[in-house]
Amino acid sequence: MNLEVKLMKNILGANDEIATQNRKIFSERGVVVMNLMGSPGSGKTTLLEKTLALLADKIKIAVIEGDLFTAKDAERIERAGVDVIQINTAGGCHLDAPMIQKACAALDLDAIDLLIVENVGNLVCPAEFDIGENFKAVVLSITEGDDKPLKYPLIFKESEVTLLNKIDLLPFTNFDLRAACEDLTTLHPTIKIFETSCTTGAGLGEWAEWLLGKAAR
Amino acid sequence: MHEATLAENILNIALDAAEKNHATKIFKVGLTLGEMAGVEVEALTLSFDVLKKNSPAEDAALVINRVPLSATCNKCGKNFRLEHYNFFCPECDGILILQSGRELLVDFVDCE
Repeated sequence: MNLEVKLMKNILGANDEIATQNRKIFSERGVVVMNLMGSPGSGKTTLLEKTLALLADKIKIAVIEGDLFTAKDAERIERAGVDVIQINTAGGCHLDAPMIQKACAALDLDAIDLLIVENVGNLVCPAEFDIGENFKAVVLSITEGDDKPLKYPLIFKESEVTLLNKIDLLPFTNFDLRAACEDLTTLHPTIKIFETSCTTGAGLGEWAEWLLGKAAR
Repeated sequence: MHEATLAENILNIALDAAEKNHATKIFKVGLTLGEMAGVEVEALTLSFDVLKKNSPAEDAALVINRVPLSATCNKCGKNFRLEHYNFFCPECDGILILQSGRELLVDFVDCE
């Protein structure tokens, strides 16, 4: 006999449960966690290096690096003198809450003010997975095009802050800065937008100041 | 391609429900997916069809119910169907808060 079992069960329930546990532990240990997302090549790691240089003497920061196969980014971050844990997803397109839980076992959370998790380069999947962070940040580089906020709305809706990176390249592209900011704001009216360049240093001071304010919360 | 992860979770939830109800065969798995849930249905179905082989869900089909985006204004309290991801209230200067469209649920499992 056919039986219809009513479930109404969250497909990501198992992940979300661990994310809630992570969030509780971070809050108890006084760690603020940022989930840093963006396309491959948008400049996440370089931005991270610059951010660490600006903040490393003000607060204690640790980094979790998500990467498909390599430790290239983690090696770069290590050179900045910051504790870094590498997670290789072996082809997986995003980090999830259990991966972060495991990585955190190797970190002294009591000694950290800010934990930055650099997600796998991808504008789609990472937005869907709660890892227990306090807030998400998305890096969109000018060369990717101004149509990305509406083409990948979820990641921009989920992120508290967007960094329009490689802003120094604006004169060489057809990127419409006003249209991009307008799309970002209609999609997410309270989103914070920074225009940054790791080549010229533009906007990095304001960004670091804002992040410091979040970490000192 | 996080659809593979989603398909794996869906299959596990369905198999678990079937087992708990002493069923040995699953015919249908009902899903509710919001329009803004970031799910590519074709990729999800393909992943599910690969994963379900040699399991009680081998012949199971996904029955998908898509939920449109709807939101409520934080100022005037009116409800709107969202178009073009515009989260500004069309009738006042309030901001629209998402009420539906992000669902990722297994609704039901039809089994025997």
